[in-house]
Amino acid sequence: MATEEGARFKKDTVNKLLHLHFKDERIKVSADALQLMTEMLKVFVQEAVARAARQAKSEDLPTVDLEHLEKVLPQLPIYPGRSFGTLTS
Amino acid sequence: MSLERLKAAVHYTVGCLCQEVAEEKGIEFSKQTIAAVSEITFSQCEIFAKDLEMFARHAKRSTINTEDVKLLARRSRSLLNYITQKSEELASSNQEQKEKKRKKNMAASKGRKTSEAQVQPMMAVSEELNT
Repeated sequence: MATEEGARFKKDTVNKLLHLHFKDERIKVSADALQLMTEMLKVFVQEAVARAARQAKSEDLPTVDLEHLEKVLPQLPIYPGRSFGTLTS
Repeated sequence: MSLERLKAAVHYTVGCLCQEVAEEKGIEFSKQTIAAVSEITFSQCEIFAKDLEMFARHAKRSTINTEDVKLLARRSRSLLNYITQKSEELASSNQEQKEKKRKKNMAASKGRKTSEAQVQPMMAVSEELNT
C-alpha cells in the first residue's frame, strides 16, 4: 500500500465527509480517488499549519495562535471561493 | 457515523498533523488554532465534494476518479505535481497487484492443464529468437 508514515485522514472518514455534500446520493468515489483525497486534505492541513507556524515564528512567539492562522489563510493554495466566503460571511 | 464523530475524527488527525509540524519547527499550537484548522478543513470538504461531483457529472460519469481530483488541485502547480505523482504511484502499485494476480492465476491453471493461451506466446518468443 501507499507509504504509511505520519498522520493521515482515514479513507472512511474522507468518504463520509465527501458524501455529506454530494447532491446526487448515487455518486461514488473510486478507491484511488479516495486515496488521493486523503493526500489532498493532508497537504491542505500541512500548508495551513506550516504557514501559521512561520507567521508565529516571524513574530518571535513560541505558540501559534488564531491571529497567525487568520493572517495566512488568504495565502492557502486551494479553496476556490474561500476568500469570497470570508468576505460574505 | 454522526456528524460529531466525523468532526472529532477530523479534529484528531489535524491534531496529529499539527504535532508533527510542531516537532519539526520547534513551536507549539494553541488548542484554538487546532480547532480552527479542523473547522476550516471540515468546511473545505464541502467545496471539494461539490467540485468533484460537478467534474464527474461534466464527464458524464457517476463515479469520481483520480482525474477529477487532479482538476481539483489544478490551481496550485506544486499541489498538482504532488497529486499527479501520488496518482502515478497508485496506478503503478495497482498494476503490480494485477500482475501478481495474473501470475498466480497462471500458476494455478498450469497445475490443471497447459492452456493454449500460454503455449502460443512461448512459440511467438522462440520464433522471434530464430529470426
